[in-house]
Amino acid sequence: MDAIFGLAHGFSVALEPQNLLWCVVGCFLGTVIGILPGLGPAATIAMLLPLTFNMDPTGGIIMLAGIYYGAKYGGSTTSILLNMPGEASSVVSCIDGYQMAKQGRGGAALGIAAIASFVAGTIGIVILTLLAPPLSEFALRFSSPEFFALMVVGLALVVLLAGNSMLKALLALLVGLWLTSIGTDLFTSQSRFTFGLSDFVGGIEFMVIAVGVYAIAEVMMSVDAREKAELLPVPRGFRNYLPSMEELKACRFAFLNGSIVGFFIGMLPGAASSVSAFVSYGIEKAVSKRPEMFGKGAPEGLAAPEGANNADSSGAMLPLLTFGIPAGGSTAILLSALILWGYRPGPLLIVESPDLFWGLVASMYIGNVILLIMNLPLVPVFAQILRIPLGLLFPIILGVSVVGAYSVSGNMFDIGLLAAFGLIGYVMAKLDFPTAPLVLGFVLGDSMERALRQSLNMSQGDPSILVDRPIAAVLLGVALLILISPLLGRLRAFRHKTAIAE
Amino acid sequence: MKLARHLSTAAALMLATIGTAYAQAPAWKPTGQVSVVVHTGPGGGTDAFSRAIIAALDKDKILQNNYVVINKTGGGSTSAVNYLQEKAGDTNTIAIFSSVWVTDSLVQAEAKTTIKDLTPIANLLLEPGLFVVRADSPYKTLKDFTDAAKASPGKLKQSGGSVTARDAVIRHVLMANTKADWSYISFPSGGERVAALLGGHVDIMMIEPSEAGELVRAGRLRAVAQVADARIKGFPDVPTLKEAGFDVPNVPQARGIVGPPNMPPEAVAYYEDLFRRASKSPGYVKYFDDTQLEDHFLGSKELAAFLNEYSDNLRGILSGAGVKMAR
Repeated sequence: MDAIFGLAHGFSVALEPQNLLWCVVGCFLGTVIGILPGLGPAATIAMLLPLTFNMDPTGGIIMLAGIYYGAKYGGSTTSILLNMPGEASSVVSCIDGYQMAKQGRGGAALGIAAIASFVAGTIGIVILTLLAPPLSEFALRFSSPEFFALMVVGLALVVLLAGNSMLKALLALLVGLWLTSIGTDLFTSQSRFTFGLSDFVGGIEFMVIAVGVYAIAEVMMSVDAREKAELLPVPRGFRNYLPSMEELKACRFAFLNGSIVGFFIGMLPGAASSVSAFVSYGIEKAVSKRPEMFGKGAPEGLAAPEGANNADSSGAMLPLLTFGIPAGGSTAILLSALILWGYRPGPLLIVESPDLFWGLVASMYIGNVILLIMNLPLVPVFAQILRIPLGLLFPIILGVSVVGAYSVSGNMFDIGLLAAFGLIGYVMAKLDFPTAPLVLGFVLGDSMERALRQSLNMSQGDPSILVDRPIAAVLLGVALLILISPLLGRLRAFRHKTAIAE
Repeated sequence: MKLARHLSTAAALMLATIGTAYAQAPAWKPTGQVSVVVHTGPGGGTDAFSRAIIAALDKDKILQNNYVVINKTGGGSTSAVNYLQEKAGDTNTIAIFSSVWVTDSLVQAEAKTTIKDLTPIANLLLEPGLFVVRADSPYKTLKDFTDAAKASPGKLKQSGGSVTARDAVIRHVLMANTKADWSYISFPSGGERVAALLGGHVDIMMIEPSEAGELVRAGRLRAVAQVADARIKGFPDVPTLKEAGFDVPNVPQARGIVGPPNMPPEAVAYYEDLFRRASKSPGYVKYFDDTQLEDHFLGSKELAAFLNEYSDNLRGILSGAGVKMAR
C-alpha cells in the first residue's frame, strides 16, 4: 500500500508544470540522440549535467532520466530503416527490423518498436514500483557463478541464430569470442592480442564492430548489387504506417518476454542492455511456433529486443535507487548528479527523499506515454528517409557511421577498424556466414570469461561452485534446453511428417 | 646553407628572448578554448570529477576561458596519453591524471609515451579509501579480518578492481605485513564490487568514502579501517591503518593536472597558478567536502618529484606481488 500512496504523491510531483516540461525535454533529447550512432545517453547526460546545477533537482533528474530511457526508443529507428544500430542496445533490432523494412513494412516496424518499448518500459516501471525492495535483495544473490550461467544461456542462443549452417555460425561465434579477448586482461594486467599496438590495449569498441558489420557491410552489398539495387519500398497510406492486428497479435508474448527479461538483466550491475536484447530475442525464437520466420522479418523478433532494452532501463534504476549502485555508464552519471545536488543515494533515499524517489518513478510512467505519443506520429516522417536516392543515402550512412565510430572513443584508429569490420561483414555476407553469432560472441564473451575466472577465484579453483548454487543451476538447465531445442523441433517435424504419412 | 643557419640561430635567439619575456610577465593567458583530456568515458570517475570541478570554477569566475572535457578512452590511460603526445607543445590542452596513469606506464609494454614524458602542472588531491565489511560480518576490526585470513589462507575474499589498482596494492602491502593470505576477486566496475560484498559473496573491500557513506549509515556496511594519513571528516571514529596497528607504507592515490610533453614554461606557470587559486575557491572546497576528497595541492616541481617517488614505490610493490613490469 505504501507504494500506492508513494506513487500518488509522486504523480503530484511529476505533474507539476515545470517537471512535466523537463520530462518532455528529456524524452525529446533522448529520442534524438538515440537515433544517431555514437552519441549515446551517457555522453549526453554528462554534457548536460552542468546545466542542471541551477535547476530544481527533481526536475533535473526527471529530465536526465528521460534522456536515458528515451534514447532506447530512438535507437531502433536507424536499425530498422538503414541496418545501422543507433545504440548498442538496438543492434539486435537490425536482424528482423531491417528485413521488415525491406518488405515494405518499415512503418509497421517503427510502430512495433515504439509500442514494444512503451509496453515493456511501463511493465518495468510497474515492477519497480511494487517490488523494488524485495527485488533488490534478490538481485544481490546474483554473483559471478550466476552471471556465468546467464552468459552460457546467452551463448547457447547461437544454435538459434545459426541460419543455414551450424558450422559457419560456430566459426563466426569463435571469431567474436576472440575479438572480445583483445585488450588488457583485468586479472593480470597483461595485454592480449594487441600486436604491439597501443590502440588495441583497451580492446575494441562494440559500436565499431556493430556499425561495421551491419551498416557498412550493407552499403557495400547494395553497391555490389547495383544493377538490382532499389530503394526500399516507402510505406504508403495511413494503414501501412501502423502495425496490423496480426502483427501485434504475433508480438503478444514478445512484449511480456521483453519486459521480464529486460528488467531482470537490467537490474544486475555489469550486464549491458545489449545482453538483455539478445537473450529476449533468443527466448522468443526458442518458444516460437514459427522460428523459421526469424531473421526474415518476424515482428516478434523485433518486439522482444526493443521491449527488453526499455525494461532494462527500468531495471537499472533499481540498484541505483535502492542501494546507490550504478548498473552501467548512464546510471553512474545519474548517481553523481544526485550526489552533486546534495541527495544521499542509498538504502535510505526512499524514506528520506520521497519527493525525489516517487517523483522520478511517476515521471517514468508519464515519460513512456510522452515517448509513445512523440514517436508514433514521427513514423511517417522517419519513413521518408527511404525516399532519399541511393547515391545520396549511401554517403550519408557512411558519414554518420564514421562520425559515430569516432565519437565513441575519440580515436582515429577506430575509423580504420570500422572500415575493416565493414569489409569483414561484407565478406561474411558473400560467403553466407551469419553475422549475429559474431556480435553475440563479442557481447557475451568478455563477461563470461570474467565471471568464470571470478567464480573459480572465489572457490579456490573448485568448479562445483558453478553448479551447486540454485540460481546458477536453474540457468544452466535453461541453457541446456535451448541447446537441444532445435533437436526437439526436428523431432516434432518428424512426428508431424509420420503422422501425415499414416 | 650558411645564411640559413645564421637565420635559424637568429630566430632561435629571438624566440628565446620572447620566451623569457613571457615567462617573466605573468600576463600570458590562453586564448580560445582549453581542452581537458580525461581517460574515462562519460560518467567515469575522472570524467565526473572534471566536469564537476569545471562547473564549480566557472561559477566562481576562476576560469577565463571555455574549458571542454575530452574523453579519450581505451587501455586505461593509454589513449589519453597518446593523444597528449600528439599535442606536444600545445598550450591549450591539459589533462587530469589519476594513479592509473602511473601504473599503466609501468605494466603496459605497448605504451610509447608514459606519464614521465608529460609536463607536470599541479597535484590536486589524494583519495582516501575505506576498508568495509558487511554490517553482520564477524569481523569488527581489520585485525579480526587479517587474523581470520591467517588462520585459513586463501579462504577469505576481497572484491576489487584490476590487479594493479590501489586496492590490490594495499592488499599486498597488508599481506606482507601480517603474513596473512586472502583471495582477490577483480570486478571491472565499482557497482559490481559493492554488490558482491552486500550479497555476501566476498568478505571485505576497499571503497571510496563517498560511495560507502550511505550504505554505512543505513546499517548495511561497517567501516573497519581507513587508508589515509589522518582520519577523514565523514568517518571520525574509524582508525587509519597505522592507528589500527598496521605499520605499512602509505600508498596514496593522487589526482591532478598534467600537460602535453614540452609544454612551454609560461603556460605551465599559468595553469599552476590557476589551479592554486582554484583550490581555494568556495565551490571547489565544497565539492571536496561533499565527496570527502583530501585536498593536497602540489605545484609543478613538487608533483614531478612526487610522481617519480610514487612510480618507484609502485614498481617495488607490484613486482613483489608477481605482476610483470614493462619498464
